[in-house]
Amino acid sequence: MKNLLNILVIFTSLGCINIANATPEQDKETFQRFYMERFPDVSKEDFGNGVYALDQDARDQWESMSDFPPYEDDLEAGEELFNNPFKNGKNYANCFKNGGENIRQNYPKFDTERNSVITLELAINECRMKNGESALPYQKGDIAKISAYMASTSEGSLIEIKVPNDNALIAYEEGKQYFYSKRGQLNFSCANCHIQNVGRKARSETLSPALGHPTHFPVYRMAWQNFGTLHRRFASCNKQVRAQPLAGQSEDYRNLEYFLTYMSNGLPINGPASRK
Amino acid sequence: MKIKSLLLSFLIFLSCLTTTVQAATQSQAKEAILTAHNLWDKTKTAGHEWNTIKPLMAQATQALQENDYITAIALAKKASTQSKLALVQAEREKTNWLNNLPK
Ligand code: HEC
Repeated sequence: MKNLLNILVIFTSLGCINIANATPEQDKETFQRFYMERFPDVSKEDFGNGVYALDQDARDQWESMSDFPPYEDDLEAGEELFNNPFKNGKNYANCFKNGGENIRQNYPKFDTERNSVITLELAINECRMKNGESALPYQKGDIAKISAYMASTSEGSLIEIKVPNDNALIAYEEGKQYFYSKRGQLNFSCANCHIQNVGRKARSETLSPALGHPTHFPVYRMAWQNFGTLHRRFASCNKQVRAQPLAGQSEDYRNLEYFLTYMSNGLPINGPASRK
Repeated sequence: MKIKSLLLSFLIFLSCLTTTVQAATQSQAKEAILTAHNLWDKTKTAGHEWNTIKPLMAQATQALQENDYITAIALAKKASTQSKLALVQAEREKTNWLNNLPK
C-alpha cells in the first residue's frame, strides 16, 4: 500500500513537472492551437486585430474609421521624434540594428550579458541615456509615439522572439506564471479572461484573445485619447481585477511581455492600432 | 471641605481614567496600523498586492491623525484582513496557476 502511494506521488509530481517544463515552443503550439480550434473561422494573423477578429459589429465600426485613424498625428510626431538628433548629434537610428527600422518583431529580446528582458521601450530609453538625454516616462507620451513609429516600420514582419539560454528560460517561465496566476481582490488571472472567457462579454466589452495581444502596440485607445504602451494596458487590466498595477518596465511586466510575445511568434506586426 | 476635596480627587481620578482610555486607544490604533503595514508589505514581496489596500491604509492613517482611533482601528483591521487574503492567494497560486494552462 505504501509503495503504491509512493508510486502515485512520484507519478503525480512527474505530471506536474511535465506541464511546468513544457518548452516555450510546446507552450506556443498549445496556446495557438487553443484559439484556432476555438475560432476556426478566424485566420491566424487576424488574431492580431483583437476583439475585432471576433465581433463583426464592432469590426464594421472600427473599419469605418480606418481611413483617418485617430492616431495619425501622434504617429507623425513619433516619426519626427525618432529622426530628431540628440544634443550630441546622434539619433535613435544609431542605437539599433538596421537603423531602428523593421525591428519591432524582435522585441522583447533577452540580453544574455545582463540577464534581463529588454523591451523596445526600455531600449529606446537606454539609447537616450547613452546619448546624454533624460529617460522618458514609460506608459504614454513621447515614448509611445516613438515606439508606434518604430512598430509601423515593421508592418507585416512576423514576430520572432527567442529564448537563447537557461536564464532566458527563467524569465520566460516567470512571465508565464504571472499570466496564469490569479491576482487582485476579484481573483482573476490574465488567462481567466483572455483564454477561458475569450469572446464572452465582460460588462460591455468582448474579451480579446491573448494570441495577437502584442502585435499592434502601442495602442491608441479612445478611452485614453492617446497612445499607450503594452505595459499601460497591463496596468489597466490589473486594476480591473483590483490588483495593484506595477510600474512600467518593472521586471515582472517585462517578463510577462516576453512570454506573451513569444506566444504570438509567427504573427505579423500590425501596429500601431486603435481600440475602444 | 471634606466633600469638596473628595469631589476634586474624584474628578482628578476621572480625568486620569479618560486619558488612560484615550492613550490605550491611540496606541492600539498605532499598533493596528503597524500590523496592517507589515502585512501589506508582505503582499508586495509576494507579488500579490491588491489595489484596495493602499486606500484603506491611507484612510486609517488619516483617522489616526484626526484622533479618530476607533475608525483607524476598523480600517487597519480591514486592510489586514485583505492582506491576509492576498497572501493566501499568493500561496495558493504558487501551484494553482498550473491548473489554468490551456489544454
Ligand atoms: C476581468 C477580465 C480581464 C483580466 C483578468 C485581464 N484583462 Fe486584459 N482586457 C480585458 C478587457 C475587457 C479588455 C478590453 C477588450 C479587449 O481587448 O479584450 C482587455 C484588453 C487587454 C489587452 C489589449 C488588447 C488589444 O487588442 O489591444 C491586452 C494586451 C490585455 N488585456 C492583456 C492582459 C493581461 C496581460 C492580463 C493579466 C495581467 C489581463 N489582460 C487581464 C479584461 C481583462
